[in-house]
Amino acid sequence: MNRVYRSALANGLRLAVVPIADLRSTSVLLAVEAGQWFEPAGRPGIARLVAQTMLRGTARRDAATWASELDALGAVARLDVGAHAAVFSAQCLGDDLGELLGLVAEAVRTPALADAEIEFVRGQTLARLEKDERDTRAVSDRAWRQLVYPEGHPFHAPAIGDAAVVRSATSAEIRAYHKSAIAPDGAVLVVAGATTPEAVKDAAGRAFGDWPKRAKPRDASYPPTTLATTKRRAELVPDKTQSDVIIGWPGLPRTDPRFTAARVTNMVYAADTFASRAGHVIRDQLGLAYYVFSAIGASRGQSPWIVRMGVNPQNVRRAIDVALDELRKITVGQIADDDLAVAKDKLVGELDVALESPAGVAAMVLEAEMFDLGEDHFERYPRELRAVTKEQVVETARTFLPPDRYALAVAGPALPEALV
Amino acid sequence: MLYALEARHAPVVSLWVWYHVGGRNEVPGTTGMSHFLEHMLFKGTPKHPKGDLDRLLARYGAQWNAFTSEDVTCYFETVPKARYQTALELESDRMRNALISIEETEAERTVIVSEREGYENDPSFLLGEELQAIAFSRHTYGQGVIGSKDEIKLMTRDGLYAHYRRFYAPNNAYVVVTGDDEPERLIEHATEAFGPLEPSRDLGEPPKAPEPEQHGERRITVHRAGGTLPIVMLAFRAPRATDPRAAALSALAVALAGTSTGSDGASGRSSRLHRALVETGLAADVDATFQLMKDPFLFLTDATLRPGIKHADVERVLLEELAKLSTDLVAEDEFARVRRQLLASTAFNTDTITWRAYRCGQLLSTGAATSIGDWYAKLAAVTREEIRDAAAALFVERSRNVGWFVPEGDAS
Repeated sequence: MNRVYRSALANGLRLAVVPIADLRSTSVLLAVEAGQWFEPAGRPGIARLVAQTMLRGTARRDAATWASELDALGAVARLDVGAHAAVFSAQCLGDDLGELLGLVAEAVRTPALADAEIEFVRGQTLARLEKDERDTRAVSDRAWRQLVYPEGHPFHAPAIGDAAVVRSATSAEIRAYHKSAIAPDGAVLVVAGATTPEAVKDAAGRAFGDWPKRAKPRDASYPPTTLATTKRRAELVPDKTQSDVIIGWPGLPRTDPRFTAARVTNMVYAADTFASRAGHVIRDQLGLAYYVFSAIGASRGQSPWIVRMGVNPQNVRRAIDVALDELRKITVGQIADDDLAVAKDKLVGELDVALESPAGVAAMVLEAEMFDLGEDHFERYPRELRAVTKEQVVETARTFLPPDRYALAVAGPALPEALV
Repeated sequence: MLYALEARHAPVVSLWVWYHVGGRNEVPGTTGMSHFLEHMLFKGTPKHPKGDLDRLLARYGAQWNAFTSEDVTCYFETVPKARYQTALELESDRMRNALISIEETEAERTVIVSEREGYENDPSFLLGEELQAIAFSRHTYGQGVIGSKDEIKLMTRDGLYAHYRRFYAPNNAYVVVTGDDEPERLIEHATEAFGPLEPSRDLGEPPKAPEPEQHGERRITVHRAGGTLPIVMLAFRAPRATDPRAAALSALAVALAGTSTGSDGASGRSSRLHRALVETGLAADVDATFQLMKDPFLFLTDATLRPGIKHADVERVLLEELAKLSTDLVAEDEFARVRRQLLASTAFNTDTITWRAYRCGQLLSTGAATSIGDWYAKLAAVTREEIRDAAAALFVERSRNVGWFVPEGDAS
């Protein structure tokens, strides 16, 4: 990893800069602690509504003008609400960084949040929700979340939220959320690529230097989520060919010291369709699915830890059984030494390969900064991955992925038999 | 053909092998054969049984995969530079020595069917496949890439093996490598790996099935149950990558839809279609695509409609926007934005080592340009007049193909 230059503005906005020689572009990530974790309880979708409305005009420029200015830079940009943060991500030419940050700062700090623009975003969001109702991936995700997280929990619904909330959100609610959640303290600006620490500090200072911090610090906490029993739900999505399957559990916070072992466990089990156990058996040996992979979310809460598969409805039962069998083997220590070695080598090797792109570098740095993983994280992390033992993998799987207590959601055509 | 580019910003090498074989090389009854074969190239060779080198690549943290298009089949590995030899060993070995056993063919068949079934869940795929089929009456581009499910089920091992022996050879491939070393050394290693391989003596002539001129609009409507959002797609006959208008058509696509990042994207909102369809509440999302292809293909525009909006209304607005670009020059300030997006996006793509190699291979294999620099120069030279003239030549009723996806009530 290239050197990471860290600094902070007086208002608390942290800067992390990774200059990369020989490039023409920079990758920019501005993460504000305004993800699902910080949404008002029971109001899923508010964070995304606010984020999208922030892109629709500012106190100085209307939506069309702001969009034209952004496109005039040739920048590629988007704003996503994740489990932890709302992240503005962009790639621009190195020389344009100052102008880009100026536009981002306007959108983030002084959005117009005009009624007409709120209505536009509401309409777009409801259209997307309607589309999602017949998208097997989206339906399985929504169903799985409802099985696992109680109502009012930030992960009970996907980030796009709930149609009833989207319909009922008022302008006042949206403006209030912007005022309370969009703030520099807790936020991180990461820039990687064709730039210098001085250039970023200067540009960030101009764009964000006088952004006032929150009146009082805030945090969110929720009772631990546990699965007392196995829960299953099948959702019929008409006129589809394939079933989308999710088997999953509530995960663990990125700040938990066991998270590194969890990443290794995830890789041993199912993270990669080819290098992990589940994909090896389900796709390569049995030909039951084109894709099988697992993912563990990184947030301050228990983000989903899920296995996803796309399977013909006739094969759903068998694919689920095999996925759970492979997991059982891990929980009883049936892990080939080489499987563990491959998992660790792969995770370490990926850190080097990710250096090929400014976006890859920026993403790694953002995770380290957002979850306070320490200035020496990139020195320690490969060593910590390599130090994970088979016993830790077994313990992690037993603790977080019990094969006799899971949540299962299937969305797609009618199944030949009930889920049991 | 070997081609190397230096990229010194990370200790990584990306190796790409482009074979001149894809959907265009297939005939009815064997559609999807090139794609099926792509899957079989991951099933081992006598020297490296299945799981051998791919497990090694996993250890190195490699990013590696393959894809098949109408024109080409492509394999790549991005690895730490010290592991370049492993990538070369994998690709040179499987260029001529893949096993393609009967047992593995059967095991993979259901995986490919599953891949197709996954695509079939997506209305855009269903409509796009049908629209491509009606747009071509003679050229094999009309068959698409993945093949019909029935033909995937009928594919034979011997057929696959013959396809493999014919098309997978050094005299039918481009090898493009980008990475943290001198180009001469990257080439030297690649030459050592691929140089001794026997050429194919059975390549034959490239497929020739020229598509006759289209003399009238063609339409297709795809009905499926489920209440998802309606879609309108327009596909116009477009020239091949070597055509002098290719750069202008790339600019035209940006003028219409920007360098889009999807419906949640912040960029591309100053584009013509976004303003005419998304900002007006008619569509949730829009896109426009011109692909660099070996033979004349299609210029595609599409819109995913907002709920309750009529297909005809969106189609009318789409056509109006295309007509405006065919008759009027884009304004100076708009042209500056389009040009900037077009040129900046080349930097964004090529600042990633993997995608620098991909871009280079794409330009070389289609003949669009002799290098990334050459293509950049072509894009930079595009004028407003060329954009208008390219639009005028393309967007005519008689070479238009129109597709509607119409969601219907639940079948249940």
